Amino acid sequence: MKTALFLLRKLASDRTAALGALLILMLVVAAIAAPVLSTHPGDVSEFHPPERLQGPSLEHFFGTDRMGSDIYSRILFGARITISIAVIAIGVSVLIGVPIGLIAGYYRNWVSDALMRVSDVFLAVPQIVLAIAIAQTLGPSIENVILALSVTYWPFWARLVYSETRSALNETYVEASIALGASPWRVMLLHVLPNISSSVIVRTTIGMGGTILTAATLGFLGLGPPAPTPEWGRMIAESREFLPEAWWYATAPGLAIFLVVMGFNLLGDGLRDILDPRTRRSVDG
Amino acid sequence: MRVLVLIVNRLLWFVPTLLGLLIITFTITHIIPSDPIAFIAGDNASAEQIAQLKEKFGIDKPIPVQLWNYIVGVAQGDFGKSLYTQRPIADDLVSRLPATLELTLVAVLLAAIIGIPLGVLAAVNRNSWIDHILRIFTVSGLAIAAFWLAILFQLLFAMEWGLTPLQGRVDGWGPDVVTGFFLIDSLIMGDWAVFWDVVHHMILPAITLAFPAMATVMRFTRAGVLDAINSNYVDYQQAMGVPRRVVIWRYVLRNALIGTVTQLGLIFGSLIANGVVVEAVFDWPGLGLYAVQSILQSDYNAIMGFTLVMGTIFIIANLLVDITHGLIDPREAR
Repeated sequence: MKTALFLLRKLASDRTAALGALLILMLVVAAIAAPVLSTHPGDVSEFHPPERLQGPSLEHFFGTDRMGSDIYSRILFGARITISIAVIAIGVSVLIGVPIGLIAGYYRNWVSDALMRVSDVFLAVPQIVLAIAIAQTLGPSIENVILALSVTYWPFWARLVYSETRSALNETYVEASIALGASPWRVMLLHVLPNISSSVIVRTTIGMGGTILTAATLGFLGLGPPAPTPEWGRMIAESREFLPEAWWYATAPGLAIFLVVMGFNLLGDGLRDILDPRTRRSVDG
Repeated sequence: MRVLVLIVNRLLWFVPTLLGLLIITFTITHIIPSDPIAFIAGDNASAEQIAQLKEKFGIDKPIPVQLWNYIVGVAQGDFGKSLYTQRPIADDLVSRLPATLELTLVAVLLAAIIGIPLGVLAAVNRNSWIDHILRIFTVSGLAIAAFWLAILFQLLFAMEWGLTPLQGRVDGWGPDVVTGFFLIDSLIMGDWAVFWDVVHHMILPAITLAFPAMATVMRFTRAGVLDAINSNYVDYQQAMGVPRRVVIWRYVLRNALIGTVTQLGLIFGSLIANGVVVEAVFDWPGLGLYAVQSILQSDYNAIMGFTLVMGTIFIIANLLVDITHGLIDPREAR
């Protein structure tokens, strides 16, 4: 509790990190309160062809799309999809990657070599390429996007936790607890994990931004949830045949992606400054 | 000596990593018992025709045998045939590789030419308004979706103002193919009109692709320069009365750029991947566009081939980065 308060106070004093937190808060509020905040809550699935492709107005803040649905309302509901994809995919990646990294880092045998080699193979190909292959095979849906992202993202945490664990094992307090006869699990969970958690938290925050970008890219390529789901990447893809006339159609969802990803990046940078004094930005910039 | 060990070590892992990648891609594309043959043959195909097609594509055999055949094929440069066009995939990939490489190299070059001076500028004027503006630029560069930026550029520069072509690589047939790099080929032909046309087509996709990379280059240059400025030898030089400008450009930059140069190799790998969407938006006839078309046609063989080629380029880029880094900075070779 004390640490949480300390973190909050530090974050509030860092203007850019506070801005990041604010942007993320906006995303969460948009997702939770979408039915209340939206002006046309039914437009997630309802079409009004006579009103198609209208420019921004008081009735439609961000205009209407090719089906005559209100883009502002659809973006608010799209926030739910963005959050669920990012949170679940990152959650699964952390749950797979962290234990693998801990075990591979703690033990020095063929199992740990094998685990790291497997994650190296996954890291040997750009994430988006592998995610495309998986999402394409499984077919377009939210679940499959989450699966594709989880399968391609866990090695990042495995690698990070592995190297952090290896260096933590050289610390005196870990050596001492091993010498006192602590079991491997006790050492890993009570001594190593708490001490590497800050780098995991920083990596996870920045990873959220990257995951949202990749998910939007999959949606843009037609590999995300099918229409009429208000997924932001898909909305941008739909807008292309109506450019340049319907400029608002492409602009609004892209801006939403931009602000959210920026929020996570800013917060991640801020957290790194606070939690990881070695790479403090105030020193290197 | 350590550097040599590092190089040999990395080279030894090259083949197993690729093999692992191949097995993963193969597994991914074969988890679902999909039936591409029914798709190719159409609804009215007889059982006999289907059996013939299955034999032709080698999918009448059990999965492990298929995997083995695929590995043997890839080792000989045979990636199988496209399920859609029935052309050899290796040929398609080879013919599209230069377009992707040319675009990526130009983008990396742009990122370096613009990013390095801006990074130095930000470091030298640390915490001034220049630094703050440039920081906003880096932060947005890393947060912007490449496909969105591509569409915004098209909207403004091509559609509204008509300054650049909307998409494609060249008007008409382009230069005679010698290297496959149109910038070079048009110069070999001595045809300036075609050269300018190629440049015109390249501006938007190259800048879109370079944008996030510029941000990364700036960040690294800035951090590297600040590190170097704070070191003892700079204090010494300044104490000896060497002008600050000379110290920065002659001594600081050389040391600071080690990190940036290494970063450029990694950036090359990530740009090749980002190119997928950028190529799709600009209709750039490279590997990325090929992949997107294969997705639309559910062409598994083509997607597998694409993934492998991407992986190979990525692994080679990382390998070169490790080796250069090991050579420049032997401490890293541990």
